[in-house]
Amino acid sequence: MGAFIIRRLLHGIVIVMGVTIVVFVATRMVGDPVRMMLPIDASEEQASTLRRQLGLDKPIPAQFVDFVGSLTKGNFGESLWQRRPAGEIVRERTPNTLKLVFLSMVVAVFLAIPLGALAALKPGRGSDHVTVVLSLIGLSVPQFWLGLVLIVVFSVELGWLPTSGSDTPWHLILPALTLALPTVGRLAMIVRSSMVDELNQPYTKTAVAKGMPLRRVVGVHALRNAAIPATTMVGWELIRALAGYSVVVEVVFAWPGLGQLAMQAIQRHDVVLLQAVVFTIAIMVVLVNLTMDLLYKWIDPRISFA
Amino acid sequence: MITRFRLLISFLVVVCLSATVTRSAQAQEITIALGSEPTTLDPQVRQDGGERAVNDNIYETLIARTVKGELVPGLAAAMPTQVNATTWRFKLRPNVKFHNGEPFNAESVVATISRMLDPALKSENLSYFNTLVKAEKVDDLTVDVYLKSPDSVFLSRMYWMKIIPAKYSADGSFASKPVGTGPYKLVEWSRGERVVLSVNPDYWGGRPQIQKVTFKFVQEPGTRLSGLMAKEFDLITNLSPEFVKRVPKVAKVEGLEHPVIVLNAMSGLTGDVRVRQALNYAVDKKALAEKLFGGHARVDDGQVLSPTWFGYDPNLKAYPHDLVKAKQLLKEAGVAPGTSIELIGTSGRWLKDKETTEAVAAYWTEAGLNVDVKIFEFDNYLKRLFDRQTRPMAIYVSHANPLLHADRTLSDYYLKTGRGSSNADDMLAELVNKARGETDSGKQLGLYHQAVKRGYDNALFSYLVGIELLYGVNNRLDWVPGVDTRLLIKDMKLK
Repeated sequence: MGAFIIRRLLHGIVIVMGVTIVVFVATRMVGDPVRMMLPIDASEEQASTLRRQLGLDKPIPAQFVDFVGSLTKGNFGESLWQRRPAGEIVRERTPNTLKLVFLSMVVAVFLAIPLGALAALKPGRGSDHVTVVLSLIGLSVPQFWLGLVLIVVFSVELGWLPTSGSDTPWHLILPALTLALPTVGRLAMIVRSSMVDELNQPYTKTAVAKGMPLRRVVGVHALRNAAIPATTMVGWELIRALAGYSVVVEVVFAWPGLGQLAMQAIQRHDVVLLQAVVFTIAIMVVLVNLTMDLLYKWIDPRISFA
Repeated sequence: MITRFRLLISFLVVVCLSATVTRSAQAQEITIALGSEPTTLDPQVRQDGGERAVNDNIYETLIARTVKGELVPGLAAAMPTQVNATTWRFKLRPNVKFHNGEPFNAESVVATISRMLDPALKSENLSYFNTLVKAEKVDDLTVDVYLKSPDSVFLSRMYWMKIIPAKYSADGSFASKPVGTGPYKLVEWSRGERVVLSVNPDYWGGRPQIQKVTFKFVQEPGTRLSGLMAKEFDLITNLSPEFVKRVPKVAKVEGLEHPVIVLNAMSGLTGDVRVRQALNYAVDKKALAEKLFGGHARVDDGQVLSPTWFGYDPNLKAYPHDLVKAKQLLKEAGVAPGTSIELIGTSGRWLKDKETTEAVAAYWTEAGLNVDVKIFEFDNYLKRLFDRQTRPMAIYVSHANPLLHADRTLSDYYLKTGRGSSNADDMLAELVNKARGETDSGKQLGLYHQAVKRGYDNALFSYLVGIELLYGVNNRLDWVPGVDTRLLIKDMKLK
């Protein structure tokens, strides 16, 4: 198992480097950060001076060497937009995103599993229809819109929760819900279909026939076997939340995390900062994948790492 | 288990209560939602919306503006006098202190100007101060400022120069812990979350009513609106025109943005003045202001200037919307119906930039032209806008002039060597250059009027509208924004 972890980590390094190179080249090919920074009527002379001062006038390979050089020193260079170390900015923002994403995943798992299991018990009946329709709504509603609707209902109309910001734990509730609901939809559907499969297996029928309480059949035996596809889905959702959905949700709720930072870096062509954000998220994705692989083994000991 | 549950409940109750307590204690406190966070609070490095909103309350300038935009002494004791054509002498306000106790004096002014001009600062504001050479101390409260050449815009430039403390500005934390002479001082800047200012009890200009202000950063306009409606915010910036009916109160001001189409007066189809005039007659500016900006825009009076800017010519009126006249002029110029014209624009940089470009294209199509609209990504668009070699036939730009002085507008877009101009008019160039060196403000204004009139007669642009700047305001707050669009907390009152 130790060898497996080391192998996967080495894969991970290759992936992170690959992502870094692609983002590095791509961001430097589209557009000129200096022109985005300066007032529109700044002269070409000013622009080229600033470009030189920021090292952006060098050829891309030379800039890449600079970047790798700063990476080996453990930093990402200075953000063009904020003029302070990009690594420092990313470090400030990372805990906020982790808080948001993990809370939303916990919410999603605790809602989706009972919902899916309940639906699977009586496929084709009322509770099943309700779950399926709710799931479909959950997974097809755009998060951007969902967030604004939640704000209007719970903050503007009812006045229960704050609209945006991150001052108190209360501020976390709406964004986490917005991030969780589509996941609930997708996850509940997966749990439902794999539970339906498991409940039709001979072993569950036997268990029910010999008089084992239904709660135990479903909650322990069937659920454990249905957990593998659900785990895959949770890992996938976690990655999508970290690397994509958090951008939308954090922008809508003015939540100062990595997603919002990525958005701001893109808008201002801050290639240095964007680089740091992508690098950090790539590492998280690799770690999530590794954790998921280890979880499989724990859930189903028959899975081998060979 | 039960006890734990009770503990949780009582914890929640306490949290709720404490939240209510803080609310009621906010009698003299307000919260403002900005569209973006300051990138730095160094007042010299960069001007972005967030930085200005905060620093305009912390720092002051030698020359200030009234709500109506007139230049008045700020930290200067009186308006400066001219020693000669390129030297101005400032007498400074005595007994003013920075928030950290450092005195405000000639050294502060010298330090401010030399730091701004120092290439090592990499300031993005340099283009506002490119005529300045240096400042020299005469005595403790007298400073001379030296210029490269006579400069009619000098006073407006000094209105843009925030005065920093000589000693503390060398401190490493200056960019995150600003110290000025203004009515408010920094309490905290919690990055990503808020900036908090409190009133400066030693402020020389009297004590403002509002004691504490919290700035929040909410990028999404819909969320800003919700926060205002939920009474979390007392004021929100950059209110979208379509939201106006939903906010408790709107504060609005003339604004600085003038979207306009620069026409190529040198060659091609638009080289003929009749064609350029036709392109003006063809556009229904009033409808543009109503439909696109919800009525929160003003038809420009045949010039790319607002009425409050120095140099605005009150005698000019916009080209009326007259399709018949437009078609007739095109016919006279020998332009056959269906002739192609290229119109370049960009998307997402300015309020409704793409929509404005497309609306203008639709009007030109009505006049019988075949309009080829090209919406470019901002970089490529800028290359076209500022390429001196090949001028585009027609290109959209939104011009903003925070100095409120015609020189900047005319130098960039009217003057034949300007960065975004498309004409070869020697006489116009002479007027603009002469005006910049003219020190008599009456004569200067006359020259600007002549220049602006010439730009109108020759239809150098398809003149459009000036966009008003809108703020959403809570009922408990009273505020009249100034034409320079500064967000001055000291001018705000709570009911």
